[in-house]
Amino acid sequence: MAIYSLWVINKAGGLVYQRTFNEGLAPLTSNDALVLAGTLHGIHAITARLSPTGSSSGCQVIEAETFKMHVLLTATGTKFVLLTSPAEPLTNADLVLRRVYEAYADGVMKNPFHTPEMPIRSEGFDTRVAAIVKGA
Amino acid sequence: MTIYSLYIFDRHCTCVYYQDWHRTKRPRPASSGALLPGVSNAVSGQSDSQAGQRASLTPTGGVVVALGNGELDRMDGPTSMSTLSFDEEAKLVYGVILSLRQMVKKIAVKDDTLSNYRTSTYKLHLYETMTGYKFVILTDPNAESLRFALRQIYTGPFLDYVVRNPLMVMDSKEQGIDNEYFRAAVDRFVRGLSMYN
Repeated sequence: MAIYSLWVINKAGGLVYQRTFNEGLAPLTSNDALVLAGTLHGIHAITARLSPTGSSSGCQVIEAETFKMHVLLTATGTKFVLLTSPAEPLTNADLVLRRVYEAYADGVMKNPFHTPEMPIRSEGFDTRVAAIVKGA
Repeated sequence: MTIYSLYIFDRHCTCVYYQDWHRTKRPRPASSGALLPGVSNAVSGQSDSQAGQRASLTPTGGVVVALGNGELDRMDGPTSMSTLSFDEEAKLVYGVILSLRQMVKKIAVKDDTLSNYRTSTYKLHLYETMTGYKFVILTDPNAESLRFALRQIYTGPFLDYVVRNPLMVMDSKEQGIDNEYFRAAVDRFVRGLSMYN
């Protein structure tokens, strides 16, 4: 059980925040991370269209053999992505994502010096995220 | 728990086989020439217009279930038509698994591969063979991983009726897996899974 990293993707598919907490995944260059975030944004939209019954959300959990990705899509189109070990329980990851969203709303969106859709540079948000992940 | 559909893609990115079971939102038939012949009786366009022929396929064809099987699985009333045609849908499925596979490769330290993903209404499972065939199955979101089942389809019916079949041209790029025995065996196998119902 480990949380590897957290990404925040804005509604246009740009990576606005990326942080690694534990080793266990390949280190990504910032360019690679941007490309992957964009890819995930596109995949998310396509997966919602592939539903064999009724309308569907986009992908919520993506599982590989050595890690898992949990995606939380907010009403405003921002995506919070958590990369964890495969053993991480679903409820726990969801809880972390919701708490991070809360921290984002408080520490980033309410910050008058933050430009929406731009990379997040906020020490307050950093510390809150670190505390949430540590407590999980 | 339900099982929606099964796709098999060859290493040339083309869909060579399709079968579905509890699907309520059906794809529009593929436009002519967009899909290899023999991939599926349900969505290949020509046979879809002939309802009589469809019914005669009952014991083996994938179509059947959508016609007759219980109200239980109908989540949103009568069968509705998807806005996607089948060939477009198959391309999207392939595109998604290909991109996700590459993404997983980049993120993981050692060799890793995508095993499944889940949305609010379905879960997609992937099994890839050494020869580049990709078996994809769509199920209920609460299903456990079905890779073992896909592997069994590969080692069982696929090897028996397709690979070891001298009349079957592998990698033909012109013909899907058009074999009634294979279709029937896959159908039997899927219906036998505890996930099915």
